[in-house]
This record gives sequence, structure tokens and C-alpha cells, in this order.
Amino acid sequence: MDTVFETPDALNDRTRAALIDLLYRLADDELIIGHRDSEWTGLAPILEADIAFSSMAQDEMGHALAYYHLLSELGEGDPDTLAFGRSPEQFRCASLVSLPKADWGFSVLRQFLYDTAECVRLSALAHSAYRPLAHLARKLQSEEKYHLMHGRMWVLRLGDATDESRRIMRDGLAAAYPHALGLFEPTEADEPLAQAGISPRESDLRKQFESAATPVLREAGLIAPPNAEPVYGGRTGKHPDALASLLDGMRLVYHTDPDAKW
Amino acid sequence: MTDTQWPIFEVFHQQSRGDPHVYVGSVHATDAQMALLMAKEQYARRQACVNLWVVPAGAITASEYADADMFLHETDKSYRETWGYKTPKTVRITRPEA
Repeated sequence: MDTVFETPDALNDRTRAALIDLLYRLADDELIIGHRDSEWTGLAPILEADIAFSSMAQDEMGHALAYYHLLSELGEGDPDTLAFGRSPEQFRCASLVSLPKADWGFSVLRQFLYDTAECVRLSALAHSAYRPLAHLARKLQSEEKYHLMHGRMWVLRLGDATDESRRIMRDGLAAAYPHALGLFEPTEADEPLAQAGISPRESDLRKQFESAATPVLREAGLIAPPNAEPVYGGRTGKHPDALASLLDGMRLVYHTDPDAKW
Repeated sequence: MTDTQWPIFEVFHQQSRGDPHVYVGSVHATDAQMALLMAKEQYARRQACVNLWVVPAGAITASEYADADMFLHETDKSYRETWGYKTPKTVRITRPEA
């Protein structure tokens, strides 16, 4: 754990491959949740909520860009090509972010679960042995603080408002929770990353996530489904169909002329 | 037209510590905590900010526009201003006799 990697050159091949895999997961999660949340622009229940949600969607896109830059430094190509040039099965995002936006209750629940997971992950990555990642994680933590306050605020308000809101949030949680656990799908990169001190194992992060999410859900009068079966597959490129149609829409303009200069 | 949305909170923004909180606008929210979170994105996502206040609009007591004439200055009030006093262009410095 004592070795620190200041630059990509310091990594051996096995660690480097594992780190690249991790960064694709982080970047693709951010890009796709950012796009999904942006689908509320102009449609959220009130103007204030619309602006706040849209602004956070932009934050997530910004985080994606920062992770794609780290991938570029590791020789994976330029960020635009990474975001727009890969096929759906090359994406490594978890199913949670691919799901359609559904209703406002589902979307704010997803935002809460996603950002709770991200806070847990960033707290760990802030001490990563891969210095460029540790620096970035610390930078992103301040924005995540607000995201978490926002998600928590909506979950607490809607979990305990009316019979209708309670029902929507209960159904939303039942639908979202197994996918949220899928954010921590174990991969072959877990061991090399843990051994190198770059990232904790996914199973450890999942425990921290559940400890962080449960009290807020309980305060909102919601219960995470016990023994929920995590939905895996995203980390190996097996996605809900919704991802392909999202990517088609997102990249429509890009694909009319991939070499265009903006 | 009556406002059918949520209660209104007035928002005050402080750019850096020690600065006055400046009124920037309002947000709709169900309660003060939500108003703070909404105000952050409406009024602090571009400019620098260290602190926000939100105040229920109903907590503000305002004067009547019908009484606006009470603010008029109809008589010469120039004595209240520095420009209301004549000072010589050059100030003669008198020295005490040696």
C-alpha cells in the first residue's frame, strides 16, 4: 500500500489494465447518468427543480470528461471519441444509469442512490495510490456534497408526503435498489486494484454504500428491499436495451460528421 | 394573478465573508431547507458565494407604493450633502507667527 504511482509510466501492465477498466466504469456511469438526468430539462415538476437537476446533470458530464481525460493519459484516445465513438457493448456503466428516467420519484431516488454510491467511492479514491485519480476524486467531492444533499432532500420529502408519493417512492426504490447494488459488480480488476492500493474491493464499497443509504431511506419511511439480488452485467458490457437507444439519441449529431471541428 | 405554486422564499447572496448579503431574487420551495438547496443552483452556480440566506416572503413587511411621496425631497436638502458646502479652491495655510 505504500507505493504511490505519480504517472501512468509507474504502473505495471496488470495494474494498468485494471485501472483502465475502473476508469471506464467511473466515466461511463457519469456520462450516462448525466444524460439521463438531462432528460428532465424543461420537464421537471417546477422551474427551480428543473434548473437544479439540469445543473447537476452538467456536473456529472463534467466528471465524465475528467475521467475520460485520465483514460487519455493512459493511451485510450481522446475524450470525444471515447464518449461518442464506442459501441454500447464497449460501455462499462452499471444498469442503474441506463434505465429510462421513468417518473420524478424514480429519478430522484436514482439520483440519491447513485450519488450516495459516488460519495462512498470518492472518499476511498481520495486516498488512491494512483495520484492523478486521488487528486481528481478530492476535486469532485465538493460537488458531490451538494448532489447528496439534493437527493436526500427529495427522498425525505417524497417518502413522507402523501399516500401517492409514498407509493411512488416505494415502487421506485423496489425497482432501483437491485440496480444500485449493481454499481458494485465485482470484476477481475478488483484484486489488482486493491493490491496496488488504487481502489478498495467493490464488495467493501457496497457495504459502505448500504450503511450510508439505509438510515436516510429509513428516515424517509422507506425500506431497502432485504436480500435484493444485485443486477450485474453492465461492467462486462451487458446492458438494458435502453442504453443503445440513449446512445443513438446522444450521438445523432456527432455521427453525422465525426471529424467536424466544434 | 394569484401564485398557485409553492411558498416563495426571498434569497440573499454573500459573495465573500464580511460582505453584506445582497438580495438576488426568489425561489419556490415547500420549506426553508429546500429553498436553500434550490437557491444554490438558481443564484450561486455561476458567481462566487460563501453563504446564502432564504427568508419566507411573508416575513417581509414592506411600505406602500401609495406612500412613495414620503421619500420625495421637495425642499433644499443640499446641506445634507458634502457638495452642499462651498470650499475654497486652494486652502490657505496659515502659519503661526514665528
